Amino acid sequence: MTSKKTIKSAFESMLFVWGEPLDVKVAAEIFNIGWREAYEYFKELQAEYEQEGRGIQIREIDKSFQFCTNIENSEYIERLCSPVKEKRLSQSALEVLAIIAYKQPVTKGEIESIRGIKCDRVIEGLMKKGLIAEAGRSSGIGRPILYGTTPLFLKYFGFKDLKDLPDIDDIGSIVHEEEAPDGVDIQQISIDLIKT
Amino acid sequence: MTYKVKLDIFEGPFDLLVYLIENARMSVYDIQISEITDQYIRYIEDMKALDVNVASEFMVLAAALIEIKSKMLLPRMSTDGDTLLEEDPRTELVQKILEYKRFKHAAELLELREEQVRRVYEKPKEDLSVYTREADEYLNLDLKQFVKAFHLFLQKKKRIEEIRMNYARIERQKITIENKIEQIKNLFRFKGRKRLSFRELLTQGGGRHDVILTFVSMLEMARQKVVTIRQNVNFGEIIVSLNEKSGGKGTREEGENVS
Repeated sequence: MTSKKTIKSAFESMLFVWGEPLDVKVAAEIFNIGWREAYEYFKELQAEYEQEGRGIQIREIDKSFQFCTNIENSEYIERLCSPVKEKRLSQSALEVLAIIAYKQPVTKGEIESIRGIKCDRVIEGLMKKGLIAEAGRSSGIGRPILYGTTPLFLKYFGFKDLKDLPDIDDIGSIVHEEEAPDGVDIQQISIDLIKT
Repeated sequence: MTYKVKLDIFEGPFDLLVYLIENARMSVYDIQISEITDQYIRYIEDMKALDVNVASEFMVLAAALIEIKSKMLLPRMSTDGDTLLEEDPRTELVQKILEYKRFKHAAELLELREEQVRRVYEKPKEDLSVYTREADEYLNLDLKQFVKAFHLFLQKKKRIEEIRMNYARIERQKITIENKIEQIKNLFRFKGRKRLSFRELLTQGGGRHDVILTFVSMLEMARQKVVTIRQNVNFGEIIVSLNEKSGGKGTREEGENVS
């Protein structure tokens, strides 16, 4: 039986060598321990790095762990690796991605109905980037393709899993309240939404 | 009042509508349809001047707005008092706007997140081949084994060569019609005659391929009016006679034309 200290130390080395997010399952199999146990060790390691405020942190993505830099040091890394590549998603890509992330699996028709505009090219672009993928077909007329997000999406936005998505239902709940009284509540909504 | 806004900031008709409503400081639940419709249509007019393609999708919402506007004119109360006959025609639009706003808000959250994560750096996947075993392993053999293997190789090579000796390698005929025509012309010159039978044009032992090639070349020459072909009886001898004009300089030009 390998000691907990040895396993944790080994996990740390493995994260270092692997670079990419390391699947907890793979790590657990190497020591022939249970998934939950391995997960706990990774979480402990993660907490240790965080507490000490190290320049390297451990992040969790889709049941995998990965070494990454401390966000506070970004400025210095940018100075080291200048010029830094600026790659950001367009506004329309973000909108489509948001709809897919929160409503998945979702058809193109549903996305277009929410945005009121065609989304073919945006969807194509997101597919190419690997942020979304086909997730089967709807049973509706014409069996349209359903779209969902990929593990890369989680990594790109640094989400642990889909439950980690920020809550937007506070607005959603208001949508369902029929005949909302005009006044204070509405004022609140507009303040929440307009970020200017 | 005219609006001068860069239009490409709007991601779609709802985006524009939401902007107009917010800009007019209206409540989403109590949209002044008439005012908003006017503003919206004015925008579309501006867009039309710029880009007709985009306008088509914006037109759908414009139509919807006008429909709501007209419905708003109809009385929704029953004549006797305050019983509601019909739902507020704006309800569906409000739902759609709220739904859209919800995801626009989500997109903003994602954008913030993107900005944050962008500042966290990771190591790209390392090239682990340095640590993994290579495919070309060292052969752990003694000299005897090696010599034996080499002998086996030589024997195999010898056997293959023995078999090869009994078979001839057949090359594909590479001669082209152009070359053959040149050959035929040379033959006329060589023989010093104006008239040759088809049989005489054939290469000795050329086989079927040569016959076909010669025949096609002959036809090509006839087409170029270098020769005239005559056959007196069916299956009889084909007589190829060189045309007068195409002697000397002319032949050369014809040759160049073909190649």
